[in-house]
Amino acid sequence: MATVIEMKGDYQPFKEEVETTDMALFVRTSDEAMLGWDRQRIVDALIRETYVDLDTAKEIAREVEELIATSKIKMITAPLIRELVDTKLIERGLEQARKMHTRLGMPLYDVDQLILHPNKENANVPHGPEATNLTLAERIKKEYALLSVFSQEIADAHMRGDLHLHDLGFIDRPYCSGQSLEYIKRFGLSLPNSIAMAKPAKHPEVLLAHMVKFAAALQSHFAGAIGWDSINLFFAPYLVGMSDRELEQLAQMMIFEFSQQAVARGGQAIFTDLNLYWEIPKHFENVPAIGPGGELTGKTYSDYSKESQRFAQALFDVYQEGDGSGRPFFFPKPLVHITEKFFQTPGHMDFLHHICEVASEKGNTYFVFDRGETAKISECCRLSFKLDQTDLEDAKQPWKMRYCALQNVTLNLPRIAYLAKGEDAQLFSNIAEFVEMAVKAHLEKKLFIEKLLSLGEKGPLALLAMNRDGSPYLRMPRASFLIGMVGLNELVQIHTGQEMHPSKQAFKFGLKVIAHMKLLVDRFSQRYGMRFVLEQTPAESTAYRFAKLDLKFHSPKSGHIVKGDISKGEVYYTNSTYLNNAAVLNPIERVRQEGLFHPLIEAGALTHIWLGEAKPSKSSLANFVMKTFRLTQNDQIAFSPEFTTCNRCNRTNRGLRSSCAYCGSQDVDGITRITGYFTKVSSWNKGKIGELRNRYRNQAFLKGENDESSGSASLEERPSALRV
Amino acid sequence: MGLIKIFTKAKCPKCPAAKEMGTELKKEGMPVLHYDLDTMDGLAEASFYSILSTPSIIIEDEEEREVVSWRGTVPTLQEVREYLLPLTPSLSPVLRRREG
Amino acid sequence: MIEIKGFLETSFSDWTGKLCSVLFLPTCNFRCPYCHNHPLIFHPEQYATLSWEDILTRLHSLREWIDGVCITGGEPTCHADLPLLLQKIKRNRFLIKLDTNGSNPQMLEALIEGKEIDFVSMDVKAPLDPFQYSRSTGLPINLKPILESIEILKREKVEYEFRMTVIPGFHREEDIQTLGHQLRVGRRFVLQNFNPENPSDPSLKNIVPYDPSVLKRIEKEVQAIQ
Repeated sequence: MATVIEMKGDYQPFKEEVETTDMALFVRTSDEAMLGWDRQRIVDALIRETYVDLDTAKEIAREVEELIATSKIKMITAPLIRELVDTKLIERGLEQARKMHTRLGMPLYDVDQLILHPNKENANVPHGPEATNLTLAERIKKEYALLSVFSQEIADAHMRGDLHLHDLGFIDRPYCSGQSLEYIKRFGLSLPNSIAMAKPAKHPEVLLAHMVKFAAALQSHFAGAIGWDSINLFFAPYLVGMSDRELEQLAQMMIFEFSQQAVARGGQAIFTDLNLYWEIPKHFENVPAIGPGGELTGKTYSDYSKESQRFAQALFDVYQEGDGSGRPFFFPKPLVHITEKFFQTPGHMDFLHHICEVASEKGNTYFVFDRGETAKISECCRLSFKLDQTDLEDAKQPWKMRYCALQNVTLNLPRIAYLAKGEDAQLFSNIAEFVEMAVKAHLEKKLFIEKLLSLGEKGPLALLAMNRDGSPYLRMPRASFLIGMVGLNELVQIHTGQEMHPSKQAFKFGLKVIAHMKLLVDRFSQRYGMRFVLEQTPAESTAYRFAKLDLKFHSPKSGHIVKGDISKGEVYYTNSTYLNNAAVLNPIERVRQEGLFHPLIEAGALTHIWLGEAKPSKSSLANFVMKTFRLTQNDQIAFSPEFTTCNRCNRTNRGLRSSCAYCGSQDVDGITRITGYFTKVSSWNKGKIGELRNRYRNQAFLKGENDESSGSASLEERPSALRV
Repeated sequence: MGLIKIFTKAKCPKCPAAKEMGTELKKEGMPVLHYDLDTMDGLAEASFYSILSTPSIIIEDEEEREVVSWRGTVPTLQEVREYLLPLTPSLSPVLRRREG
Repeated sequence: MIEIKGFLETSFSDWTGKLCSVLFLPTCNFRCPYCHNHPLIFHPEQYATLSWEDILTRLHSLREWIDGVCITGGEPTCHADLPLLLQKIKRNRFLIKLDTNGSNPQMLEALIEGKEIDFVSMDVKAPLDPFQYSRSTGLPINLKPILESIEILKREKVEYEFRMTVIPGFHREEDIQTLGHQLRVGRRFVLQNFNPENPSDPSLKNIVPYDPSVLKRIEKEVQAIQ
């Protein structure tokens, strides 16, 4: 009900005894109509929006009218009137009514800034009118969420920075999701509220078109990533008999379509994950294949191994080429699953070399390790899980395999340590308290989403409520509730005096903290019959936000703890359970040590290996990938090179440089991985810039004789007590 | 002196056998530590050694380096003793030779 | 005893297909203007000497992962006691790759005959004529030992490659072709792009490296020469 009231043009100054109802005021409403001043409207709003009684409402309206009349204000706006009403509510001690009467919105200055300057909270949002719309909407929904969806306790915890409720601007949607292509293969593209209904695709290009449109539809129903399971396999029945050239074309279309979706929601590319397998995953081996027209082909998926593999190869050919100027594609992200069966499947070494070549040259490849006999699916960047019996049953009808994480709540672990003041018992009970807060936040959001879903196909989440196969598209009983963490390293540092990488004791303490959290979430899962799982928060802006807030609330201690450069404001906490980004740790140790946390973090974890400028040999990378599979418990790795792309000559070279190595132009953009995806460095927030400066990139160890740190050059002095 | 670490869980069929062996070895004067994976300390220690199944038994040397481990299985007392022997100075073959 | 000045625990790029550790030895008998390890050559005293025992402890702890050790520099064969160092590494059952400029064929041959090394990567600086070679190495060069080393490697008693760092302005495309024809080793001739970041001769900083796709094409062509 945003209204603006302004004085009429030929405005007459108020006299002392004016009858205020005759005030020459006009109200400009949000429907762009001009209405005269009417005190009754205040009364109506109070009765409609709050629980105050009619007499009080009338009294307040009159008082406000008097105030306006006697104040000699020349210009009155609706928000101002509302605030004036609010002060009257406060005077009467009607705190709850004031809260219900709150007006959500933004100051003029902020809107002006927003329209003129880019958003740095999420580097995946470009700057443009559509993006601005998104941010404006997010601001209001965020306020709405904190006032209306979450209890005061949880909202305050978020505001204080004890925890972070992710994507509050998308409060009316679940967080991220995993999709099965089989759903659109079987049911076609028939979306609620859509004007046209498409039958199941008959041709691969059409299937791709359906997939892209469905992804766009899903993007407007989820806050985060959209993952696709076994995408090369599920395309395979459509690819029979295609030539190499045709296949290459289709692969190109798929990657370009998803990488150029910057025309979608808020001008934001769809955060897409493609899960790829070289082998036929065990749980799909004997599943009847769905082919053109949504018909069963009469064969099982094991019969499509060749097509599936050719398509995977073709996709990586495209990744290797890069985009039109040789840059890596930012999206879609390819996740290749490395399993025991991978190594038993013919041709795996050639394929491994191929994806390692892409990892070396462009960095795209994610290596996901599924060890042992347990089947696992990575649905999106942070949601992966082992298939239990119900899931394996679902796998026989793969269109049922739709998963989601309803929300992501991240705990500020360093905050817990500041509060514990070195007391073990206090620390662990604080952790329990914080985890319980996260659980409460999840219960509140679940309740809200269920309310929206209960409105069914006529409600705001019609797409998620649609029912084509006997259950709603969004399968709430299968939803996960993510509990993430930022700054384990700093928690340990505050509490024990040492960071995790130089001390075995400190490292073990870190494990204890995460083990404690894991046992806690398991217990809450049992209590509520919901899937609470730990995850490694990507924390693109959370690591920065927590560090800033702690500098404010826990100074001076925090000044010694936060990483980055305080003088430049480039501060951050180390992400999730990672070891210090700047630590001189060779990739082997980083992969092994960080991997020890991974079995405790069920929702998927990842180790980054920052390559910098170096371009490794593909076969050496393959060697490393195989050893990581065999010798560690690490869940997932990615190699991240750095690039400089020139806006003048459109060429891309390796390393982060201030000018183009080819044409010397200074109009260049640096590109590398921020958290779980590649993007331009210029769009990063200050915290991540601080981290980028610090990232250790596996350089040789040469130590100056006169280095302050030491006179002698004992390797033992390096911060690496926890050795393989 | 080496160290024996035994990892068990409340609900696990083979765990009682492993626990019993621990008790036996302790009686013989061996340093034995028990870890329960349902507790924070136990789960943390197990994670440090990448122990994903119970029962598991690890023997370490003095510098806490893993000498041998049995994961998801229970060795015989005889097997465990074989590995412990060289780690226990009083029983080490070198010393025994000297004594002889 | 050789002073070890640098240690990289894990390299993905120094030994194709292998994970290796790299040891950096000081000093060199060449003065290549584009050398990017030049502080190690001109000012080795600026770097502390690393303890062999510490390095060995590290190598052992990486045992399951590391396939071998790459010895580079500087020029390792400048050190008369290089064989001693290699023996110590061998004794610990690690494979060894030697980076050399080929200026010490006697030592190279002895190492190969003694099976002290498993892979040799020899830097070739220019087409094999004294003028071009001297220009690229920054010194008057006697080509004889270089040619001998090439012959020794081509006897195939050890795995090897010839590696050329290509610098626009120093090496025209036809120079690379010429060298390819002189070597005639197919895929064992590999090209490496110039890195203008920190060359020994600062005036080279402004040289624009070859476009990687162009370099890739040239490499493919010279590798076809058998």
